[in-house]
Amino acid sequence: MSHCIEYEKMGIPTAPMVTIAFHDLAENTAQNKGMPSLRICYTPHPVWGKSPAQMYAYLEGDDPVTHKPLMPEVINALTKPLTAADTKTGSFTPSVGPATFSGTLDGLQKYYMNNGMTDFMTIVIPTQERVDAMLKGTSHHPDEMVGELTPARGLYPDWKFTVKHVAISAVMAGCDPSYFPVVLAIASSGLPSLSSSTNSFATAAIINGPIRDTLNMNYGIGAMGPFSDVNATIGRAWTMVSKNCGNCGQAGQTYLGTQGNVVSFNNLIIPENEKDSPWTPFHVQKGFKASDNVVSVFFGYGIAQGQGGLGSAVTPVPAFDEGLVSNFAPMTSIFGALGVLDPLVAKALVQRGYKTKEQLSDWLQKNTTLTVKDARTMLFTGGFSLRGPQAANLKPDDLIPHWPKPEMINMVVVGGETNPYYQVANMSYLRSISIDKWM
Amino acid sequence: MDSNRRKLLSLLGVSPAALLAAKATGAKGVAGGDARGDNGAQVAGEQTVEGLNPRGIPPAVQLFAMAPRLKTVEGKTLYLVSDGFPGAGTFLHEMQIWFAKHMPSVKTVYRLKAGSFTQEDPALNAEIKAHANGVIMAIGH
Repeated sequence: MSHCIEYEKMGIPTAPMVTIAFHDLAENTAQNKGMPSLRICYTPHPVWGKSPAQMYAYLEGDDPVTHKPLMPEVINALTKPLTAADTKTGSFTPSVGPATFSGTLDGLQKYYMNNGMTDFMTIVIPTQERVDAMLKGTSHHPDEMVGELTPARGLYPDWKFTVKHVAISAVMAGCDPSYFPVVLAIASSGLPSLSSSTNSFATAAIINGPIRDTLNMNYGIGAMGPFSDVNATIGRAWTMVSKNCGNCGQAGQTYLGTQGNVVSFNNLIIPENEKDSPWTPFHVQKGFKASDNVVSVFFGYGIAQGQGGLGSAVTPVPAFDEGLVSNFAPMTSIFGALGVLDPLVAKALVQRGYKTKEQLSDWLQKNTTLTVKDARTMLFTGGFSLRGPQAANLKPDDLIPHWPKPEMINMVVVGGETNPYYQVANMSYLRSISIDKWM
Repeated sequence: MDSNRRKLLSLLGVSPAALLAAKATGAKGVAGGDARGDNGAQVAGEQTVEGLNPRGIPPAVQLFAMAPRLKTVEGKTLYLVSDGFPGAGTFLHEMQIWFAKHMPSVKTVYRLKAGSFTQEDPALNAEIKAHANGVIMAIGH
């Protein structure tokens, strides 16, 4: 839609064409980008996967919104004289409603839920008293700007938000004020937990540093499950912040994930088990000191639960390495990989010669390969190895790396050592943020 | 409130119910109703509490005038532009066939915009400015 608006600003009339499934998104985007009268024409959905004959039938059929023949509607979009509304200029600042809402506790529960401000589970009502208590969890001023969030950069506007805005969502998620610096660090990352894509993406945050013990975070048995109010409510707050501070997650408008992702309820919060890991903590790999408190955020398709039942990790058989590769290979290369390893797996890997996480990533990058032929049939390969002059001489059966750089394969150690299992997330590392800065 | 208005408000981050509440009460909203019509009205004797609005700060929206329209497309050059989503190219090629059959005086030029679907393509923009009388763009799926 943005491109059509740019063409219109250049003086070229346009007829944007969108499938009916994206009607709300298209209309809202046009309005949001400052051209609410943009003459969008609609086809049935989908176009993707339809034959040329089926597409031609769309053109001979009706616009599913106006129920008039489609192509005359397209021509009308280019020729129908403009109205006063079509040429209106100026600006306005949208309102987000009053500063407070009043009602009974039950009434407010419904009000927040039905107005897109929750994850559809019961919240803690963010009273002034509770928000004030949350704000005591940081030294930062309530009016200080924390950052910007958007459901998709370039498609939707970036919303700004303050420490107080984040505090309100943290209260709603059930956080204790002591967790607030972690929530602020995640909020400041610029990564929402809900993005607008038709994919149903997931987010993850690795927590490192002494704050894991200070807050009594769970990095042992069941660390990624519902077994710690700290892990759970910090992750939940990420989604609350995304919805409320970034206008993300409004289904049909700013969220189009066709199936949704269960991870989005409270996201993958992974406090690293630094105590039992034989390797360097993740944040130290990224240049921080071991004594620093850091959150590192990831984005991608999600995690393959239960994938790595790795008895061979403790039984050195030749199949072990092949097993490792087979669990990483199904990941798409548009995103990186995040190996989430129980400490028993990490220790076994050290015994097998992988003294560092980097050594393991290097080995996996070199040995997780696919043929050029297969790579070219994948919709999203990441395409890194198929672009540029180096791709010109590739033959169909040549093997290329699944990921072009070992840095795209990261490792984190978490778990309670009840068995040597691991999981693989198809997620890319984005950035690390100091939690200490938000204390 | 019609659905389009609700959609606009929602995208802009405005709760329709919140706006109604704001209209009714000024600075404070009353959670006695909501967007789905549920009723959270106060039960006699039940305590009323006040919750803070968690919504962030949307930026101002700048409005732009649309381009002047053509008197007719007959004899004009229309650029059919794909943003690169699967199927969009085939769809626009079918549209070229449609124009050739029904409006043969229209010259159609197919172009695939470079880059990801959100990225600008300055070279194409310049070409369109120089040569196109109008653009039909296939966006998304």
